Amino acid sequence: MTDPGEWCGQVCTELHAAWAIAKKDILIYYLKPNIIVSGMLFPIFMFLAFAIGRPEVPAVMIPGLIAITILFSASSIEPVSIPIERRMKTFDRLLSAPISLHTVVLGESMSGFLYSLGIAFVPLIAGLILFPTPIVGFAALIAGLVLTSFCFATMGTLFAAYPTESPGDIMSMLNLVRLPLIFVSGVLIPLEQIPQIGQYIAYFSPLTYGNDLIQAAFAGDTHFNPVIDIVMLLLFILAFQFVANRLYKKYND
Amino acid sequence: MDAIEALSLSKRFGTIQALNQVDFTVSEGETFGFLGPNGAGKTTTIRILTGISAPTGGTARIFGRDIVRDTIAARRQMGIVHETSNIYTDLSAWQNLMFTAELYNVGKKEREKRGADLFELFGLSERRDDKTNGFSKGMKRRLTLAMGLINHPRLLFLDEPTSGLDVQSNLIIRDVIRELNKTGVTVFLTTHNIEEANLACDRVAIINRGQIAAIDSPERLKHTIQSVQSIEVAFDPVSQVHVEDLEQLPHVSEVRKQGDKFRLITEDPPGVLEDIMEYARRHHVHVISVNTPGPSLEDVFIRLTGLDIRTKGVKTVD
Repeated sequence: MTDPGEWCGQVCTELHAAWAIAKKDILIYYLKPNIIVSGMLFPIFMFLAFAIGRPEVPAVMIPGLIAITILFSASSIEPVSIPIERRMKTFDRLLSAPISLHTVVLGESMSGFLYSLGIAFVPLIAGLILFPTPIVGFAALIAGLVLTSFCFATMGTLFAAYPTESPGDIMSMLNLVRLPLIFVSGVLIPLEQIPQIGQYIAYFSPLTYGNDLIQAAFAGDTHFNPVIDIVMLLLFILAFQFVANRLYKKYND
Repeated sequence: MDAIEALSLSKRFGTIQALNQVDFTVSEGETFGFLGPNGAGKTTTIRILTGISAPTGGTARIFGRDIVRDTIAARRQMGIVHETSNIYTDLSAWQNLMFTAELYNVGKKEREKRGADLFELFGLSERRDDKTNGFSKGMKRRLTLAMGLINHPRLLFLDEPTSGLDVQSNLIIRDVIRELNKTGVTVFLTTHNIEEANLACDRVAIINRGQIAAIDSPERLKHTIQSVQSIEVAFDPVSQVHVEDLEQLPHVSEVRKQGDKFRLITEDPPGVLEDIMEYARRHHVHVISVNTPGPSLEDVFIRLTGLDIRTKGVKTVD
């Protein structure tokens, strides 16, 4: 496909199909009980478990709560929807449609992204109304919310590539990654206070950069330059998308 | 241009050779049946032809487009009706159809008009806004078929379209297949219902253990095994006749109970007919009807897949 017009047409077609997949997921899965529990209630309880009784609570921890909420909500849709669709054989519809596998992965990730973006406003608005948590960088906030949401939605889609028809199988694997991420990414404990080995691991966690960017929006006090946070989150998104594409290809062959 | 060209298609899963050098072509406008026992390679073939799975050897082309290298262009030509009625049961019938149309890049105006026409055709108009979780199996199947046709495909893959359906849905679907054929749509049909293939298909391929055992028109396939002759006999229902008794008759190689009838496979129908009448007289049972049907496509299927007998005149693959 060398003609630029044809190329643009194909890109538009693929984006339209990705949006159709996202809309379908929104209609079907947003109100499923297991998604509400893992995407909305779980991060709130996680936060409360660490916040209650601590002196700096809650204003200072609002960015962390937003980051945790995004981590859990963004990565909760696809690990539920894709195994169910495998069981119902509806996933074959997507795999046999005249669209690329990248579009399927993108469309699935978009529903998690939008869900997470909506849920993230709950701690954000709560922070603004109930506690003195002024936003000092709107651009960092928007970039932080969008990129972190998309990054973890793609991570959820990546995990959902595992060829099972049971959402529980994927959720178990996902929690093995999500829970440790909270402790090594500077969300609940500042990076400077965790052991050296933990700080090295933190460099490989997308939550580190997402949390750092959101922290920049609130306090302006960050571990990395926001540009580095943005670049790292983009790299994680590309890597997750690439690996997810390869895995779906491999497991559905 | 052929609708489908499968050239030396092979597929290996670890140590299992699921498909082995499968060759066939399907002409444009043809209704082509693909028969085979479970595990023979039917689903693997369909998954390769629809671009879900890649072959480990050989190539497949859809209207000249290589399904591996030019997957999207090849898929745009086709509609797929999967074996399971894979619809979204949390969505309405209309939402299901429109979602499929969007995946196939059918414009808004066109998909709404086409959708209304298809719902009319399949008798689903009155239920279009109902969630499909309350639909009967037949209605789900009709909706699946409508979804497969939303993009005006030139080639339609139908995987077990009428399996386990009610009479009304069966008739609608068979009628639609006939009409599609008249309008030049190529149909690739897999089915366990051999009579359905016999009635609907221009040609059939029989696949067994990953290899094509025969390809030809149903009638030519039947003619190749004329040695399989039979007598179909029905006795009065009050008569106590057992398969074992009939198996004892001379020149009878096999007896199949088919509903209220017995089918006796033999190479000597006149001789066996006399023996049946003699048996009836001796045992005081009444014969209600006698037929001497020729070999059926099912006989061909059994020969080629069950007994593995190579038959004269059929294009067989060893």
